[in-house]
Amino acid sequence: MSTITSPQRTLGRPRGGGLAGAVASEWTKLWSVRNPWGCVVAGLGLMSVFTYYYAAIARINHKPIQPVANAPVTAVILVQFVVVALAMTMVTNEYANGSVRATLLWVPVRARMLLAKTLVAGGVSFVLGLVLGVLGVAIAWPAFGGHATFGLGEVASQLLKMSAYLALVAVLTVGTAVALRSEASTFAAVFFLLAALPTVLVGIGGEFLTTVNDALPQSAGNHFALGHTDPYPPEVGFCVVLGWAVLAHVVGLTVLRRRDA
Amino acid sequence: MITLRGLTKRYGDTVAVDNLTLDVREGRVTGFLGPNGAGKSTTMRMILGLDRPSRGEALIGGRPYAALRHPVREVGALLDAKALHPARSARDHLLAMARSNGIPARRVDEVLETVGLAKVARRRAGGFSLGMYQRLGVAGALLGDPRVLIFDEPVNGLDPDGVRWIRELTRNLADEGRTVFLSSHLMSEMQLTADQLVIIGRGTLLANTSMSEFLANSAATAVRVRGPEPGSIAMLRHRLESHSADPAVRVDVVSDTELVVRGTTVEFVGDVAHALAVRLHELRTMSASLEQAYMELTAESVEYAVPGSTAGANPSPRQEAQV
Ligand SMILES: Nc1ncnc2c1ncn2[C@@H]1O[C@H](COP(=O)(O)OP(=O)(O)OP(=O)(O)O)[C@@H](O)[C@H]1O
Ligand SMILES: [Mg+2]
Repeated sequence: MSTITSPQRTLGRPRGGGLAGAVASEWTKLWSVRNPWGCVVAGLGLMSVFTYYYAAIARINHKPIQPVANAPVTAVILVQFVVVALAMTMVTNEYANGSVRATLLWVPVRARMLLAKTLVAGGVSFVLGLVLGVLGVAIAWPAFGGHATFGLGEVASQLLKMSAYLALVAVLTVGTAVALRSEASTFAAVFFLLAALPTVLVGIGGEFLTTVNDALPQSAGNHFALGHTDPYPPEVGFCVVLGWAVLAHVVGLTVLRRRDA
Repeated sequence: MITLRGLTKRYGDTVAVDNLTLDVREGRVTGFLGPNGAGKSTTMRMILGLDRPSRGEALIGGRPYAALRHPVREVGALLDAKALHPARSARDHLLAMARSNGIPARRVDEVLETVGLAKVARRRAGGFSLGMYQRLGVAGALLGDPRVLIFDEPVNGLDPDGVRWIRELTRNLADEGRTVFLSSHLMSEMQLTADQLVIIGRGTLLANTSMSEFLANSAATAVRVRGPEPGSIAMLRHRLESHSADPAVRVDVVSDTELVVRGTTVEFVGDVAHALAVRLHELRTMSASLEQAYMELTAESVEYAVPGSTAGANPSPRQEAQV
């Protein structure tokens, strides 16, 4: 036991590593604990319940005919917190148990480490968004009972936009988590931005506060995925969400570079 | 090789590491000693690019840690072994580590075998004992077959068998020409393991010397002389005290046939006895233990001293070695 088995043959020549290695490492870490599976299950549950009720209420109240994917897109207001939890714990868990130091020993370049987490969190959230979206459409369609339209192109476009929004929410969360480090403060900050603040602004109402709300990621994402042309074209909605995600990422990177691990 | 140049770390008003300049060379075990809070862990974190130095730099093979292309293949580190996700298995932890640096998965099983964790590799690490954590930490340090190894208190929590294992492992790693930088509070263990010593107190360098030199220079190192004739022993004592030009030479009388001489060498005492034709039955060096020599040096820099502790008092020579 005291000798080191000659590792030259097993180790081989140095290759790999870099960003690809960092992404592979984050991917391995993510799926080797139960947490993300819990998030997936929670997402499936929330999406099913929400889209069923959304469609059933539209049918019962004889609401105007709408695209079927409006159901899962509207569900995002809740479902996005599944993505927040998944992305947040990829960072805050490591700060809580100290394993972030191991991560930084493996991938010492701060920008690369953050980019790897961002890509994995964003990628997983995008795919999860598509899966949840398809599930939502499948559940909402019969529940609408004819009070919705189904166009393949339209559904695909709406679900892709919704998934892109969820991916950006994940990116935003990773950046915030790296900046704040603790689970409680990260969740509070993201919840404030995505839910509390929009609710308050819309609740009080008025032209000015509504304009402010349209600049927040939650309603910008909504305008984008539902294809609203007012108050701005859908593409602008996307850019607003992207802007928030980039901002959080830059703040996170700055803190990561300045503060000791 | 690890190079520190003016390495300094401040936390607000406290200076945790103060202007350290030294080289940790390959092919030996360099013991890193200092009282609690001396700045050992902080120094290691700066070497590993985890903490930013307030001033100065720490280089590995001439480059900062963050500039290493495959850091895990060049430096193996064991800092806080318990800093793991408790729900992740040992194998998955090492697998994530291996993938980050392009190391094949086979190597993971190899190091798990080496540290004796192969049977529990798929169990969640949260259920590990302290010793198992340490072994997993060592597995991680060995994973990339690195040229430089940094261990912060690796024997913490290990059973005697594990302590011995670490000793042999670190010796072997150094004998293979690697750089081994090792902190520990276990002096007897360090005395058996290290070739070179770096000692810090309150962040400043107190000693950077070889083990043998450090022990030889300790006040606890002394020459013991014993002879059958009290008269000639008294004559020897008189000559050593008066004729010695060196005021550092001090003679303690143990009995009228036995002296303990400090501040000189066994050769000098032997030559004086020979010149006086004093009959001797015993002439030998009593080596200081690392613990004694260390206590002398760090007495003033112990930050968290226990009231009434003997740190600082001149300890009596206990460990003796024949010359
Ligand atoms: N993040 C931090 N913020 C403030 N002070 C710190 C921080 N980390 C370390 N210190 C202080 O720096 C000093 C050196 O601590 P360090 O942990 O490096 O000592 P050490 O030699 O490893 O001690 P020990 O033998 O107990 O492990 C201590 O006074 C400690 O309180
Ligand atoms: Mg320490």
